[in-house]
Amino acid sequence: MNPLVFAARSLRREFRHGELATLAAALVLAVAALTAVGTLASRVEGAILASATELLGGDLGVVARRTPLPESFSSKAAELGLSSSRSVEFSSVVFAGDKSQFSEVRSVDDSYPLRGALLVKDAAGIQRSAPAPASGQAYADRAVLNTLGRSVGDHLQIGGRDLQIMGEIVSAPGGPVFQFAPTVLMNTVDAEASGLLGTGSRASFRILVAGPLDAVGDYASWARANLPASARLITVAEAQANLRNSFERGENFLRLAALLAALLAGIAVALAAQRFARRKTEEVAVLRCLGASRNEIVLGLGFELLLLAVPACILGALLGLGMQEIAFVFARELLGATSGTVPLAPAGSAFVVGLAVLFGFALPPLMRLRDVEPMRVFRRDLQTRLRRFDALYLLPFAVGGLLVLLESGSTQLAGVLAAGLGAVAVATWIVTVIMLKGLRAISRRLPGALRFGLANLNRRRGLTLIQVGALALSLTALDLLAVIGPSLLDRWRADLPPDTPNYFVLNLQSDQRAEFDQRLQALGADNLSLLPLAAGKLVAINGKNVRPSDFEPDSRAGNFVEGEVRVSWSADLPPSNRVIDGRWPGAESKGAEVSVDKSWIDLFHLGLGDTITLRFAEQEITATVTSVREVDWDSFRVNFFMMLDQVHGESLPHSLISSFHLPADKALSDLSRAMPNLSLIDVNSILDRVRDIIGRVSAAVTWVLGFSLAAGILVLLAALAATAEERRFEIALLRTLGANSGQLNAAVLGEFAVLGLLAGLVAAAGAAGTGIALARNVFRMAEYAPPLLQLGLVALASAIIVMLAGLAGTRRIAGTPPMLVLRHGT
Amino acid sequence: MLSAEKLSKAVDGPDGRLLILDEVSLSVERGASLAIVGASGSGKTTLLGLLAGLDRPTSGSVTLAGEPLDRLDEEARARVRRRLVGFVFQSFHLLPALNAEENVMLPLELEGRRDARQRAASVLADVGLGKRLHHYPHQLSGGEQQRVALARAFVHGPQLLFADEPTGNLDQRTGAAVSDLLFALNREHATTLVLVSHDLDLAARCARLLRLRDGRVVEDDA
Repeated sequence: MNPLVFAARSLRREFRHGELATLAAALVLAVAALTAVGTLASRVEGAILASATELLGGDLGVVARRTPLPESFSSKAAELGLSSSRSVEFSSVVFAGDKSQFSEVRSVDDSYPLRGALLVKDAAGIQRSAPAPASGQAYADRAVLNTLGRSVGDHLQIGGRDLQIMGEIVSAPGGPVFQFAPTVLMNTVDAEASGLLGTGSRASFRILVAGPLDAVGDYASWARANLPASARLITVAEAQANLRNSFERGENFLRLAALLAALLAGIAVALAAQRFARRKTEEVAVLRCLGASRNEIVLGLGFELLLLAVPACILGALLGLGMQEIAFVFARELLGATSGTVPLAPAGSAFVVGLAVLFGFALPPLMRLRDVEPMRVFRRDLQTRLRRFDALYLLPFAVGGLLVLLESGSTQLAGVLAAGLGAVAVATWIVTVIMLKGLRAISRRLPGALRFGLANLNRRRGLTLIQVGALALSLTALDLLAVIGPSLLDRWRADLPPDTPNYFVLNLQSDQRAEFDQRLQALGADNLSLLPLAAGKLVAINGKNVRPSDFEPDSRAGNFVEGEVRVSWSADLPPSNRVIDGRWPGAESKGAEVSVDKSWIDLFHLGLGDTITLRFAEQEITATVTSVREVDWDSFRVNFFMMLDQVHGESLPHSLISSFHLPADKALSDLSRAMPNLSLIDVNSILDRVRDIIGRVSAAVTWVLGFSLAAGILVLLAALAATAEERRFEIALLRTLGANSGQLNAAVLGEFAVLGLLAGLVAAAGAAGTGIALARNVFRMAEYAPPLLQLGLVALASAIIVMLAGLAGTRRIAGTPPMLVLRHGT
Repeated sequence: MLSAEKLSKAVDGPDGRLLILDEVSLSVERGASLAIVGASGSGKTTLLGLLAGLDRPTSGSVTLAGEPLDRLDEEARARVRRRLVGFVFQSFHLLPALNAEENVMLPLELEGRRDARQRAASVLADVGLGKRLHHYPHQLSGGEQQRVALARAFVHGPQLLFADEPTGNLDQRTGAAVSDLLFALNREHATTLVLVSHDLDLAARCARLLRLRDGRVVEDDA
């Protein structure tokens, strides 16, 4: 016997007969769902990335301090077919008449910006997209215009160059999201002519490139190898540290959706594969009797599965690509993205995952068929000998684990989900065993048909455990998609409430505080916070001097040591801060104490009890680390890496820094005129940008979640229909004994209601727990409470869906003449 | 052709070891026919299984066409069955996903024969099902199904045919027709027949009768 030929023949015949249709359908649906969600997620991710390149102003940047980047950085970009743009950033005082404003000046060339658009308001206050400023021209932030008392069309001076103000900057790609001084944009020709970029200037020189992805990758490799000592690469991901969290959250949401779709697909295929193997037992006994060897049978079945799986997976992938295209048509509006090319990698990975899941779950039961006794043809009750341990049974777990890890792309997400689902599996097993015992005890008191239905649960104990387990896992995935996902998205949107601070004020002196408060109150400002600010230098850790050269060139730690360190103090722990270790210094402290942000603790390898020495002008303070804080840097509040105890802080020369929310229709021009020393930072545009990203990403994620949910329900229904098939023999028997439709329905409904309710409740509890763990460990959201009422309702709805699906699945069977079923057994 | 020497089979049950067959010895010549009869639980089917190499004895030996079945592993026994043995079962055991012709082709396909389809069609015509080639088991009556099973049993020209209650699931008339066909084919193919049955009329058509009771041979009219 040639197993391959035999497999091809069996496949053709069995497929024609409909025997393999369930397995093929589950596989097609699974791969389709996986392809669709994966591709859609990838395209949404692409759109998010495109949005990030707009912020960066290019696809990749290289920035160098103090020294301009060599010409080769431009010529290499040209050689690779990339467009490039150079810019220089430096601090300078901008003058107009007798007024001045300390500003961040950015000089750009004519090709700026490569990505995104420079938006300005003209003299009439109309917003438009503008080209890079020509020589002799400039754009300025509203704060600069207010301080200088100038409007669009007037002139200002930088480094002795007279420039005409062509517009008020609304948004300018490529700059830091948060800076301490307002921006002025000018042409590099003027900046060079002004002499401000001479030796010793603290300017940073930047080149941005944009073009095809491969070429950008090549450029990144080349640049990395040729970086001057003071230079570093800026990728899109790290360009906007403040927004990174938003992007990461968005990505994690998409991964979660894709992972859950994969899981549902896996469960459906696993159920169908198990059923396939069970139904093959009789056939294998006959074949063995007719003289087929064990190896021929295993090879034959393996080939048959492969021959079935490859076209089914291809069909599924094609179907999935079609499905996602339809969904993307709707999602595109929300994303504001162009269609772009459709990535094929998710379809490829769905294909592989489909095969892996099929073989992972089908092989162990099929391999068991090796041990089917040929004597079974005489005695059906002869059970296949169970081996005590078979390494093969680890295969589904290995495939499942690998699936979670590969699809999540993040060990944290994978860990939380695997733990959550593992807990659901164990809990389901325990609860089902208890339930089966309970049912046995009470079944005598139940009416006939219902008793029969529920007795079936006990009769097929093994199958019941598998089915409730699979149902509970599928429903957990559905709960996560339908309830937890959207509620986490709501929680994310609530991160930036309407009264989020939109202005920062620097350089406020203690004696100005009363007037400042009064003016803000008059303007209707709210959510005001005020903290002292002292600027110093980090000089020693644990008594050992630290120098920038102790760290990697241009590393984050090195930059902190080289630059200024801003510290603050407060009797109470500021909002959006949480002490995760040690205790907050409070108003009273014995010695000098410092509370340090977690990221700094990691960066400088600090621990409680370590000492940090800071120098403020002539004064040095050595403070002991007494607490570690977790700071929500996305809160748009004033936050500090280091906070001293109040007693020692007050002794330092300091100013005040404030943040507050000002309604959109109010202006601060009066305040800045009355208190000209204040530096006002308007973060409305950043806030809008973050809100925009959250809005767009969450809208797109809602689409992907919804799509996964729909695919998941389809998969679940298919799986349930398949399990209903298992009941054909019982139903035929009941029919033969004279049961009417009502009694049949009662038996089926009773059985499925118990299955559904049990699985639904365990799933709801599992989803709630997993949701809390996801919020805390993956999405970094404190204080997330899962919507328990919704979960409860979904559990109830699940029971009803499972009941109806079970009924629908058995209805077809109930219509078959019982004789046909009885004659052919199960 | 077939011989068994002190064949015993015991299984472990809840009340300890249960002896199903107790030192049964027999020998069947080529072309002969043997009926094994006895009450339910007398060990008939177990003996048939051991003689056909579907199971291994606890002790004793079986030789089929010179092959010592009790000393062969399952793979080797499978090869012997494929080459030399045909089966007819009480509950037919046709594969539900295959039509009549495909069911009959099965033993030939296992041997890798290229003429499987023609041969199957011809044997099915011999059993009177030439027009039912493409019917699935559920579309055939019990008698027709057993005729397909007979065609499958003879299609590859086995030297030995084992039949387990071949008419047990059929009414008297159909049963008689099927048994006529069985013996006709047996004669035509000069096959050695070992048959297990409750039906003494059917057993009487065999040249020799062996009666079992509680796992022992109580009558052998050899």
